[in-house]
Amino acid sequence: MSNNRVSRRQFLGYTLTGVGGFMAAGMLMPMVRFAVDPILQQHDGGDFVLTDQAVADITEEPVRVDFTFEQVDAWYTSEVTNSAWVYKEGDKLIALSPVCKHLGCTVNWAGSPDYPTQFFCPCHAGRYEKNGQNIAGTPPLGPLDEYQVKEQDGFVAIGAVRENTLV
Amino acid sequence: MHFNSKDIDLYAGQKEYVDTAVVPLIELDLTDAGMKASAGASEYLQSLTVILEKQFKGRILLLPPISYARAADRSQLGQQLKEELSETAFKHVFYLTTDPKWRSIEELENVLWLPAIPTGDMDQSFKKSVMEDQLRQVLPLFTKEWTHHS
Repeated sequence: MSNNRVSRRQFLGYTLTGVGGFMAAGMLMPMVRFAVDPILQQHDGGDFVLTDQAVADITEEPVRVDFTFEQVDAWYTSEVTNSAWVYKEGDKLIALSPVCKHLGCTVNWAGSPDYPTQFFCPCHAGRYEKNGQNIAGTPPLGPLDEYQVKEQDGFVAIGAVRENTLV
Repeated sequence: MHFNSKDIDLYAGQKEYVDTAVVPLIELDLTDAGMKASAGASEYLQSLTVILEKQFKGRILLLPPISYARAADRSQLGQQLKEELSETAFKHVFYLTTDPKWRSIEELENVLWLPAIPTGDMDQSFKKSVMEDQLRQVLPLFTKEWTHHS
């Protein structure tokens, strides 16, 4: 027993190492946490807006689905309602933006009785195929944009807009 | 398109496509009794013109609402607006109002008079369906005018 006596020098050495270790850890831990924070951020689902359209009711015929989100414009916050044309291609959900690529009007599915299987823009008679491909000879110069879309608890959730990936 | 500098830049390059001006006409009634109804009518007309603009963004220019006092001389105001608009490239001009006095004014063509619906106390989704219903009544008037004189 008496052989293992800790000397004053050893005791102080252990104590200072221990306390110093805690202090270093206290300083480093938050830094490490901040450094890895971007990796730990969850991206999935954060930007999707849930709509009240059930996925089970979606067919191959495009239907209009409205979704609302808050938009801040300088000091003015407003609720913006946008819509999308949603349909199923096999089992895959597809959501197209209704904004005409010509000058930004709203296009309608089967909006013209002459073209019941196309999107129709009432402003200047622009037309698009079901997959958003613009029809040559009509004013639009590009295909309709596409929304990211997924199923969330049986309902359609709509995400960010991107260029059409179907054509 | 809205009457702001960004959209007007776009308009300047696309004049042959944006051939229709929409002018909301709003009567200001600031008496204690009439203020709420006047505000409601103004709210209704502005919501309607905004969703109309959204539908026909590439073909119409929505001007800011023209507001005038109750006693304003409508025929003089109409004459002046008409003169101002006659110097532009617009082929069609629509005036939208909830003020019944415009119905007897001869100076303006294409005045669409709509009875104001007090949407202020409705909840959001009901208000939206009411406004879309209203829009559906107005849209054919535009497409008819465009197909008749184009």
